[in-house]
Amino acid sequence: MAAAGGLRRAGWRLWRGRAVVRCQQYPPLRALQASAALRGASDEHKKEPWASSSQQHFDSPPAGHQPEQKPHPSYTGQGGQESEDYESEEQLQHRILTAALEFVPEHGWTAEAIAEGAKTLGLSVAAAGLFHSDGSELILHFVSECNTKLSELLKKEQKLVQLGEAEKKPTDEFLRDAVEARLRMLIPYIEKWPQALSVLLLPRNIPSSLNLLTSMIDDIWHYAGDQSTDFNWYTRRAVLTAIYNTTELVMMQDSSPGFEDTWRFLENRVADAMTMSNTASQVQSTGEAVVQGLMGAAVTIKNLAGLNQRR
Amino acid sequence: MAAAAAPALRCSLLQRRPLRCGPGARAVPGAGAALRPCSTRVALEGINKPVIDRIIRVDHAGEYGANRIYAGQMAVLGRSSVGPVIQQMWNQEKDHLKKFNELMVAYRVRPTVLLPFWNVAGFVLGAGSALLGKKGAMACTVAVEESISEHYNNQIRTLIEEDPEKYKELLQVIKQFRDEEQEHHDIGLEHDAEATPAYSVLKTAIQLGCKAAIFLSERI
Repeated sequence: MAAAGGLRRAGWRLWRGRAVVRCQQYPPLRALQASAALRGASDEHKKEPWASSSQQHFDSPPAGHQPEQKPHPSYTGQGGQESEDYESEEQLQHRILTAALEFVPEHGWTAEAIAEGAKTLGLSVAAAGLFHSDGSELILHFVSECNTKLSELLKKEQKLVQLGEAEKKPTDEFLRDAVEARLRMLIPYIEKWPQALSVLLLPRNIPSSLNLLTSMIDDIWHYAGDQSTDFNWYTRRAVLTAIYNTTELVMMQDSSPGFEDTWRFLENRVADAMTMSNTASQVQSTGEAVVQGLMGAAVTIKNLAGLNQRR
Repeated sequence: MAAAAAPALRCSLLQRRPLRCGPGARAVPGAGAALRPCSTRVALEGINKPVIDRIIRVDHAGEYGANRIYAGQMAVLGRSSVGPVIQQMWNQEKDHLKKFNELMVAYRVRPTVLLPFWNVAGFVLGAGSALLGKKGAMACTVAVEESISEHYNNQIRTLIEEDPEKYKELLQVIKQFRDEEQEHHDIGLEHDAEATPAYSVLKTAIQLGCKAAIFLSERI
């Protein structure tokens, strides 16, 4: 029973295996560079465990790799990922990109920034070879991180409102604050952001960047309390996307102190959107009232003409 | 150790690719398919989002369409002898729609873009079939309800294959609705649906339309 469980776990981990299995099966260049990067600044004798069979890897962490940490058993396939001592290729890339952000104001969204970031982690600059030379992954990583931060911020605010410690904001103020909070995250990188925008528009990156944009806008509306289940769902998101994109562009060219012009622009656009939606609902109710009036007039005329009598 | 685990845990969220990322997300080509940026959805944990998305979206569209069909039928036959029968079935469909509206908000599912189209098409179908007479309206009801029952059965099968425990509430809702749609189907048969002229042609045409509607609403 335990043996079967152990076999299953090992099989599960093999199936879910990342860096080492990839090294052996998939286009090896990048993965080899990953292991090279990992090894870059550290001891050469660690090569041994990496070259050994994948089975051995999963059963015990490579000897000498982070020796101060004790190997400990992982009980489930999923949890095994985190409690194993080596990190997967994705986790490594995540760390490198996060470290690289610090160097973006100086080097732009380029391989140089990534290389500098890798250096601070004690890896070799060849780690920059893991990524595209135009900095796409770095930018997408940054956008994803910003969106996550925004979600957490909105969630915290929502909790405060639920606990009664804060007032529920009116919709236009909520949207304004959310977009402003999100755009403020660009301020440290504002010099190089136009370059990032153009990279995000490359055909290769459009699916990802669109995905990130739509999920961010959806998040904002969700926390603003949108519960529409009809075509309004699309209208609202389209409007907010337009507001966000135009405000972002205005921000790129804004040189006023503290970006006041941008925030004023944002305020005006949100107010416009609110006016538009008010007008739309007014038109609809006026239309309904007019139809009612016409029906009433028709019935009156029929009565007057004696057409409604039953004989 | 905790410091190493925290980013690792964070990344495992990114790694749950088919489950977590936003609707319609695809693998980023190139870059070793290793980094798949997506915002962390603070929605419901552990569910198969794409599958549930589709189910709720298409069911919502279906109930919306059924609503409009009955509205169309009532507009023509509201004052006839089958008026009360249709009204009662319509009321049940309204309840179904309300329930799916709630589920849509709870699971943060996007409604189908084609809703305005189903709005018109449903009403036209209902009114059109009612103009063929009471039997015509009943025939339309039979055809639509049969399609919907079969569709719900497929969904129940899918959910049970996925994880009956996790989706218990959703399964319960769909099962109950399937039973009620089956009732409508039987009511339609009781009211001489089969006596409609060109019954089989009408039924086949309507069911084909339903299949197309289901296919489109799941995706768009």
